[in-house]
This record gives sequence, structure tokens and C-alpha cells, in this order.
Amino acid sequence: MRIPLGWLRDFVDVDLDARALADALAMRGFETASVDPLPASPQPPWAKPAADAVIDLEITANRPDCLSILGIARETATMRSLALRLLGTAPGLERKRLTAGESDAVSVTIEAPDLCPRYAAVVAEVTIGPSPAWLAARLEAAGVRSINNIVDITNYVLMEIGQPTHAFDLERLDGRALRIRRARAGETITTLDGMARTLDPEILVIADAERAQAVAGVMGGGHSEVASGTTRVVFESAYFEPTGVRRTSKRLGLMTEASARFERGGDVNATIVALERIAALLESIGAGRVVGPLVDRCPVPRSVVRIRLRRQRLHDLLGVDVEDEEVVRIFEGLGFATSVEWLLEVAPEQAGWDVTIPSFRVDVKREADLVEEIGRHYGYDRLPAVFPAPQAPPAPSDPRVARDEHVRRILLAAGLNEAVTYTFVERGGQEAFGLGDAAEVVGIANPLSGKFDVVRRSLLPGLVEAVAHNRRHERRDIRLFEIGARFSASQGENHAVAIAWTGAGADPHWSRSGRDVDFFDVKGLVEQVAGALGLSVTCEPTKTAPLAAGRAATIVVDGAQVGAIGQIDPAIAAARDLPSGDAIYVAELDLDALWAARLVRERTAPGTTRVASLPRYPSVVRDLSLIVDERLPASTVRGTILAHAPEGLVDVEFFDRYQGEGIPDAHVSLSLRLTFRSPERTLTDADVQQGVDAVLGRLGEVHGAVQR
Amino acid sequence: MVDAAHLRAQFLADLDGVASDRDLQVVRDRYLARKGGLVARLLKEIAGTPAADRPRLGQQANALKLDIEANIAARRERLAADRPVAGAIDVTLPGRRPALGHRHPLTIVRAQMEAIFTRLGFAVVEGPEAEDEFHCFDALNMPASHPARDMQDTLYLAGSMRGEAWTATGPRSADEQARDPRTLLRTHTSSMQVRYMQAHEPPIRIVVPGTVYRRDNPDLTHSPMFHQMEGLLVGERISLADLKGVLLTFAREMFAPSSRLRFRPSFFPYTEPSAEVDISCWACEGAGCAQCKRTGWLEILGCGMVHPAVFEAVGYDAERYTGFAWGMGIERIAILKYGVEDIRLFFDNDLRFLEQFPI
Ligand SMILES: [Zn+2]
Repeated sequence: MRIPLGWLRDFVDVDLDARALADALAMRGFETASVDPLPASPQPPWAKPAADAVIDLEITANRPDCLSILGIARETATMRSLALRLLGTAPGLERKRLTAGESDAVSVTIEAPDLCPRYAAVVAEVTIGPSPAWLAARLEAAGVRSINNIVDITNYVLMEIGQPTHAFDLERLDGRALRIRRARAGETITTLDGMARTLDPEILVIADAERAQAVAGVMGGGHSEVASGTTRVVFESAYFEPTGVRRTSKRLGLMTEASARFERGGDVNATIVALERIAALLESIGAGRVVGPLVDRCPVPRSVVRIRLRRQRLHDLLGVDVEDEEVVRIFEGLGFATSVEWLLEVAPEQAGWDVTIPSFRVDVKREADLVEEIGRHYGYDRLPAVFPAPQAPPAPSDPRVARDEHVRRILLAAGLNEAVTYTFVERGGQEAFGLGDAAEVVGIANPLSGKFDVVRRSLLPGLVEAVAHNRRHERRDIRLFEIGARFSASQGENHAVAIAWTGAGADPHWSRSGRDVDFFDVKGLVEQVAGALGLSVTCEPTKTAPLAAGRAATIVVDGAQVGAIGQIDPAIAAARDLPSGDAIYVAELDLDALWAARLVRERTAPGTTRVASLPRYPSVVRDLSLIVDERLPASTVRGTILAHAPEGLVDVEFFDRYQGEGIPDAHVSLSLRLTFRSPERTLTDADVQQGVDAVLGRLGEVHGAVQR
Repeated sequence: MVDAAHLRAQFLADLDGVASDRDLQVVRDRYLARKGGLVARLLKEIAGTPAADRPRLGQQANALKLDIEANIAARRERLAADRPVAGAIDVTLPGRRPALGHRHPLTIVRAQMEAIFTRLGFAVVEGPEAEDEFHCFDALNMPASHPARDMQDTLYLAGSMRGEAWTATGPRSADEQARDPRTLLRTHTSSMQVRYMQAHEPPIRIVVPGTVYRRDNPDLTHSPMFHQMEGLLVGERISLADLKGVLLTFAREMFAPSSRLRFRPSFFPYTEPSAEVDISCWACEGAGCAQCKRTGWLEILGCGMVHPAVFEAVGYDAERYTGFAWGMGIERIAILKYGVEDIRLFFDNDLRFLEQFPI
């Protein structure tokens, strides 16, 4: 809202310069967009010479009353304890009292009182011409183009008091009628902007006997537009229901000065004031005169709103005592009437003020709103800053926060950098990752672009894209992880961690030759993460996208699948312009499932972290190399040993896997390290040999393994 | 005749040029050689001077000799200490650093904020990113017709999705998920205020960090996805003065101990009274600089007293309880703290950007 300072001075003797006034208004809730000096321009006869400027204010959606010079004048007067001049009380603010009655020149009928509770109209004889220079200058300062004296008067009143009005050329109205009705389905109108618009019954129009002549509260029609030959006009001033105007404005994609005010809430009483102000302006600038009575259709009278403000409540919400005189001063300055009578009669905790809400303050609906008015004008800066004492012990935090942080620290400590990628991804890009199942993908109904048209089912597409981004920028060694939400139709929202690693397996160093990342680097991270949550994982080979066959596994915890791990299918990498030689290893883990598994463990084996006493006797280590079928998974070998563990066997580790010279075709040499220890005595060689023989015997029997 | 002082100065200059044991031997021989050494020569010359001067000159010459011997011995020791050890390593080569990744700047800021509020007695809770209209709008005093819904251009899901599989209170059954369909991506973390209040009785002190979404095209200052931290404190007789106290305590820990806050009245449908909060610019201490666009202030958050309609929507007694809430953008704070010029950098995951943040 552009406020020319000279215009504001009609209502209040502003005692600050433009910059200082803007800064002060900002502290009352009116943010400044800009303050600009105005060049010297023609001034109205009553204006005292003073430096002029225009302050552009951002008006919040709750304050339609401040989309006007008067509204800002009222705030300024209250803020500075200055007198506010109302319409009809000073030169330049004339208001001509009109008598209500029935007009024989125009008939007015409200046919949709739900959308238009009040409609007033008055007929005037006019001579179309240019506006006086001062009026055109003021409109221009406020950002409105001058058109002709009649249109300018309606715009002047719009800016001055915030009430939209409209002038129809009376001779262009069929049957000299104004019918406020819903549009007929398919009815059309050409609005003042020259656009032909098709209407529907949700849209309210002002029609003559035949056709729509204006879209109510939004824009007039071209047919009855005031033009150079116009001699008689009918001025409309109405209150339209905010929701109806808002719906119409959205439906037509048409936002105007009028619709912006009506949809936030007009002043039901300003309808008459605006017409009386128009009547005065017509005469004062010699543009014409009102003929006949004022027609006021008010089928839905509004009752006066009164709200009680308790002094105790005011204190409790602001945290400070505001003197009674100050409360009354602020309310009256803002146009609220206060009654103090019952202040004396009621119980102390109920004592306060009965406050009558002016009709222009549509935002004030309850006691808290009154508290805000007092707080605003008392000044938030004058309130003390107090740290509130706790009223209860602190509540526990969401366990997911600590869980995610734990996982994050492990991965950071492993040298991975943390990424944050978009939650929405491209449908096609996700499909390439084997996540295209239409029943599971959740789309975005109103995406910004095709790049963001589904919410992600997996963190991997985004993370691989981040790898590709870095690869395009001269990075070969890339290690990233992300912790975040993913979505699917059947599973809803769930938290996961994903890892992507390409290039060197460890930071390059002058002391060693490099090695590229492989499956087991990433598997180690997965084991580490699960281990930190008190869980152990197993891997089962898989052949599902987006992973390369032969280098892919599902991750299983306690029998439940919690993720996948492997090399990204080279075709997917190539489609993202990643060099064909680059192997990208990834893993994704369902953190919620891991956490659930941990909770189950805690329930079934409470107090899992118990310290074992330290061994009292030495352990004995034996290494074995076995030749087995190459398809036999190492985990099966280990399982067989542990299932029939000989006495004293405490640990089994793999330390080598070899294929090649000396090993029969389709076979592999597995090297195992067995650790034996007894809690009761030092084991002898014979004890250990007996154990090794048992293991060998068992492996030979079950897997046909032979010692190498 | 050369005097002792002159000879001493000459010796010290020669000693200065010594770089090896060999050099040192040459210098030693020049001054101390029994035959032809400069000191020996000086003594010989003293023998030819008048008897009255001889004791004094002799004393000086002897002192010089002792001094030279001591200096040579000291130098020899130093040379020995400097001698390289066989098989010595080059200690100037780079060390083998354990790998350590960089935290994302948004996580750095979030963790700092969480730490401060945790210490102030607030629980950290998370909420779902896929929401329903009730929690995101209706319960926050924004019914379908409310103009404020325009302010939040929302991304809607195509069809409805099941509710989250897991909440702060634990895993949820498939039935529970199915009964709780979600239709949009939350536009603010305020939706979690509602969920938390529905599940807990006052008093309440929580902060809710999380991801939020708006239908904005990405540019320098906008992102369709960003992060917020919501705060909520509810109790008996909680006032705007308490809100000022909590936020001031936070600001002084997060930014600078001398920080000041400025509360400007504003409008949010779910708070009444409402305010926007500016913090005094720490770069210029309020004098005005490029960071604060010469105003001395930086806008950091919006806040207010919880609107009674919100309490009513969650079934609280709005007469008995009052409270306040605030919401701040984590990107906004990271941008201010680190001088990030383009919000999109947070989501490009360019290692050249990420590696600039402290480990
Ligand atoms: Zn500054």
C-alpha cells in the first residue's frame, strides 16, 4: 500500500519525517517495502506546504482496513498520540449527507443475499472530463493511473478510506436495473481489461435487466463503462462476502484493488460513507452532483460486536501491567469504544473492559486479538524478557533424533560426507532404479516441473545424482551418505540411511599404492552401523535393480530384510554420464526397521550389555585352509562350524579366499583362523588338535571340504 | 701488534661460518695450533713488549685462549646434535589422517540449535513430512477458505498415502497407517505442534526440527524444500515476556553474547499476538553493513502466543493454558552464519562446498 505523506496529512498532523514514520510503523506491524521522495506536484488548496514522500507498506492479510490512507492515519495517530481527523470534520475531508429512499431512476435488487449482505447505490448527473491536477497527482503517487474525473473519484475514495466503489453508465443499463445475482452457467462478460470471461453460478455479478454488467467485487464490465459521453451514472458501494470474492478472483485468475480488499473483509458500514464522500467530491471538483435518494439494500443487518478484555488476561499474555489509561487511550485511538462501567462491579479476575469492535476491524474476533492491539501500541520493545521457570521436568526427546545422530557420527568417522538431496525426484529417474511400481510410487499432484514429480521411494537416485554432480566437477573419489525420509503408498513415510562410494577405497597417501572401493568397504560400513545399534547383519545375494548382478545383496537382520547393498548397475551409471570405468558402490538401510529390531532384542534379551570377566587362561590359535566348492558361501561354512562347535572354540575368522593355481576348477581355498580357549584351564595341544579335527571332520562330511 | 679483542671478534666471525666438523677443525687450527696458531703468535708478540705491560696483556691472551676453546667445544657439541641419524624419516611429509567426513552445514546448524534448546529444557521431537490438511492447516486456525492458505503454496500428493510407519512413540501397525492418510507435503513444522499437543498434556517444551516444502521454483533465495525448527512452550500464565526471554537466551548462545532482539508485530493465523524477530547484526554490531543491508538488523524468525483456536483444536483448555511458538528457517541461519550466497548450494552436495565446513 503506497501512502503519500501529503495525503496522510489530511487526516493527521504527522510529526515525523517519512523515514522515521516508516520505521515507527514497522514497529506497529507495518513493514516498509520502500520510502521514496516525491517530486513537487500540484497540491490541493487545503494542503500546507511540506516535503512529500511516499511510503510503500506491506499490509498483512489480517488488516484490510489498512489498505487505505485513513487506516494508516489511524495507526499513526494512535502511535504518536495525535488527533485523527475523520471524514466530514476538516477541509479536504468533506462528506455530503445523503437521504435514504427509493430511487425512480434505478431499481436495485439483491437476489443473492448470502454473497452480498449490503448494497447501496446513488445516481448522479456528471460531466466527464479530466480530474484536477492535485487529484491526479495524488492518485499517481498512490500508484493509480488517472482516467477521468468520475473513475478517479472512485479510485480516490478507494485509496482514501479503502472502500471499493464502481460507477456504471446509467443509460447503458437495460431496464435501469441493478440485479445482484449469481451468474448463469455459461454467461459471458467482457471486463474493463478487455478480456471476455465465461462465468458460472458460483460467481456473483451485478446485472441489468438482461446481462451481467460487472463481476461483483472484482471488476466492472466494458458495456456500462463510464466514457466521455456519459451524463448519468449510478455509483455502487457494497459489502460482498469475502469467501465469494476470493473464490471468484481465483476462478477468473483476476486480482484487483477491489478484490484484494473484499476478500480480506470489507467494512459493512463504509458502503454509505463512501457514497457520501463521492457526493462531496463530485461537487468540490465540479464533476457533477447526486440526484435522488441513496438506495440502501441491507437485507442482513450486522450486529455490533463487543468483546470483554480482562485486565488479568492482558497481564498474563503480555507479562506486564499496562496502565488503565494507556489501555483506553490505545483502544479509542484505534476506533474501539470501551466501556468501564462493569469494570467496577465484577470480581477482580473478571475486571476489565467491554470493547466495542468497529466494523472496519474484521480481524478482531476474540480477547487475544484485543491483547495484541494493546501489545502492539504499548510496544513489544517495552516488554521485559523473562526466562520461564520449568513447570514440569523436561520430556524425553524423540529417540529417532539420537539414533540418526549416532549413525551420522559413525559414517562421518568413516570419512563419508553428509549430503542433503531433494525429497522429490523425477519419476523416470526413479524407475531406472527399479522403483517404478505404479502402485507404490506416490506422485505430486501439482509438481513444479517434471524434474520433481514424485516423492522418493529411496534415497539412492538422489545420492547417485550427487555423485554424478561431483564427478562432473573433477572429483574422482566421492563418498557420500544421507539420512532422510522416503515414501511409498503401502509403507507410508520411513527414515533410511543411504551410502554411495566411488573411487579410492581409502584416502590416497604417499606411503601406499591406492585401491578402489569394493563391495566389502560398503558392507563394512553397513556392519558398523548395524553393530552400533546392537545388531548384526547378514547378506544374501540378489539380482534386483539398481544393482549389478553378482555384486548385489539384500541386508537381513533377524530374518527381516532391512536394505540392500552392491554396485550400481553400470548401465544406470552410464545413463548419468558417469565414466564407464567408475564403480559406484551403494547401500541403503531402513533405520526404522533396524530400530524396531533393536527394540525386539531389548525386550527379549534385556540388559544385553553385561561385562564378561576377562579370560584367565591363554587362548590358542590354529589356521586352516580348506578347499570347497566356489558356490559355497563363507557364511555357510562358518554356520556349520558354529552349529557343532567343539569344546573350547571361541572364535572363527576368515582371513583369506583364494582361487587360481593349485586349486581345482570351480573350487576355492578358504583360510580360517580358529581360536580356542577354556575358562577353566590352559588347553593342551592335544585338546586343540581334537577340536580342529572335529571341525575338519564336520566340514568334510557336510560340504566335502578337504584341507589344503 | 694485533690485540686480544680484535682477535676475538675475528674468531667469532670465523666460527659463524662453520657448517661441519671439518670447518671447525680448520678454525681451531688457525687460532689454537701450537705452531703458527694466531693465539700462539700473539703470545710470542707479548714477550717482546715492555715488562710493565706484559702481565696485563698475558692475562688477556690467556682469557682469549680459554674463551676460544670453550666456544669450539660448544660448537662441536651442536654439530654432533645436528648430525642426521642413519635411517631417519622425513618428518615433513604429510601424515596419514584417519578419514573424517564433513557434516552438512544444515545439520551443523540444526545440531547447535538442538543442543541449546535441549539445555534449556526442551525435548527435540520429529514429525512426519507427509501431512494431512487438518494438522497442517485446519488445526492451526487456517480453514479451507482462509486467505492465509494462499501464503503457503502447498505441494499436494497425488492421491493419499498411508501415515508414517513410525512415530516418536514407536512403530505403527499397518492398520494405524491406513487410518491416517496423508495428502500433502507439510509447509511448516508447525503441523507437529498439533500432533504433539494431541498426544501430550501441558506443560510442554519442545522443538521440532525438520524438512518442509513450498511450491517455489528454486532460485538464489528460494527452494521448494528447506528446513525449519519449530518451538512450542505451553503452560500456565506463559506470556510474551517469557517468549522474549527464551528467544534472547537462544540468540545470545547461537550468535553473539551481545545480541539484541527486536520484536515487530506481525500476523500468523496460529498465533495472537504475533511478531517477527530481528537480531542485531553481529558483523557490525548494529551499526549497519552489507550483511544487514545497512539496517543493523537481520530477520531470523516468526513467533507469537499460541492462538486460542489452536488450543481448542487440540482439546486444551484455552483459559487455563497459554503458550508461545516460533519457527525459524535453518537455511536462513546457515546462510547468515556462513555467508552462503545461493540457497541451492545446500542441495547440490558439491564436495567443494561441503568440505568448507568444520569437521
Ligand atoms: Zn550489519
